[in-house]
Amino acid sequence: MSDALIVSLYSFIRTLVGIVVRPYETYRRIILKGTSWELLFVGALLSVYFTVNAIVKTPAFRPFVLTRHFVKTSVAVLVTALFVSWLLWIVGKCFGGKGEYKRFLLGWSYTLIPTLCWFFFTSLLYVIIPPPRTTHPTGVALSLVFLTISAVLFFWKIILSYLSLRFGLKLDLVRILGILLICAPVIGIYSIGMYRLGIFRVPFL
Amino acid sequence: MKDALYERFQKKWSQTMDLPPQTVGPLTPYYKMVTKQLKVMPLPILFLLSTALIICLFFLIGSGITFLTSLLQRGF
Repeated sequence: MSDALIVSLYSFIRTLVGIVVRPYETYRRIILKGTSWELLFVGALLSVYFTVNAIVKTPAFRPFVLTRHFVKTSVAVLVTALFVSWLLWIVGKCFGGKGEYKRFLLGWSYTLIPTLCWFFFTSLLYVIIPPPRTTHPTGVALSLVFLTISAVLFFWKIILSYLSLRFGLKLDLVRILGILLICAPVIGIYSIGMYRLGIFRVPFL
Repeated sequence: MKDALYERFQKKWSQTMDLPPQTVGPLTPYYKMVTKQLKVMPLPILFLLSTALIICLFFLIGSGITFLTSLLQRGF
């Protein structure tokens, strides 16, 4: 088991570099040769963020409050990831998709990396330069930088999502657009629900 | 030896043919042109695209961009 973990850790690090440098080839490799152990490391990375998030968002450094926030965020992200991947899988199968759910879930879990990057970046900026932004030239300049980085991470996320559907379900662009057209309203309603419950303001998709 | 080679060829062939080729009708050459740039190291191109988009947004909504930033900064 320890051998499998070490090999999976190496594979995970290699995939992390790959989704930045060569996303197309990396996703092909994830779907063909990825192991479920890699989900463990994705989960570990997410847990690090949830810990940071709990500390930043909780006004008082109390273990019970921090733990409650950590557990709430972790469960919400897990449920969201499983729900979204399951929804895309079911709709993808209706569109003639082929493949295994396990492999698709692995591919989809790596699309959480850009989301994680954005949330980490925003948390850091919240601590260093908290909002609101003013209309002073420095405020506008910082806003431009923040929005540019957010847009880069968003487009990167779109590319990785497309690749996970392309290789995970073996679909072409037209079918993928059809799937996204159907799933987008459902995910939108889910996100509004999460907002109303006070779990996410920006959905952790 | 010949069988092992043939098996490797068959495996590679099925991997290649498993995925349907990507076609978008008459837009296929433009699609291939765009995706060629995004297959390897897409971040610099995404950065240029995002910069252009955000500058256009700034010209569109002006200093309203600070309101959007404040909203997103509280979004985590």
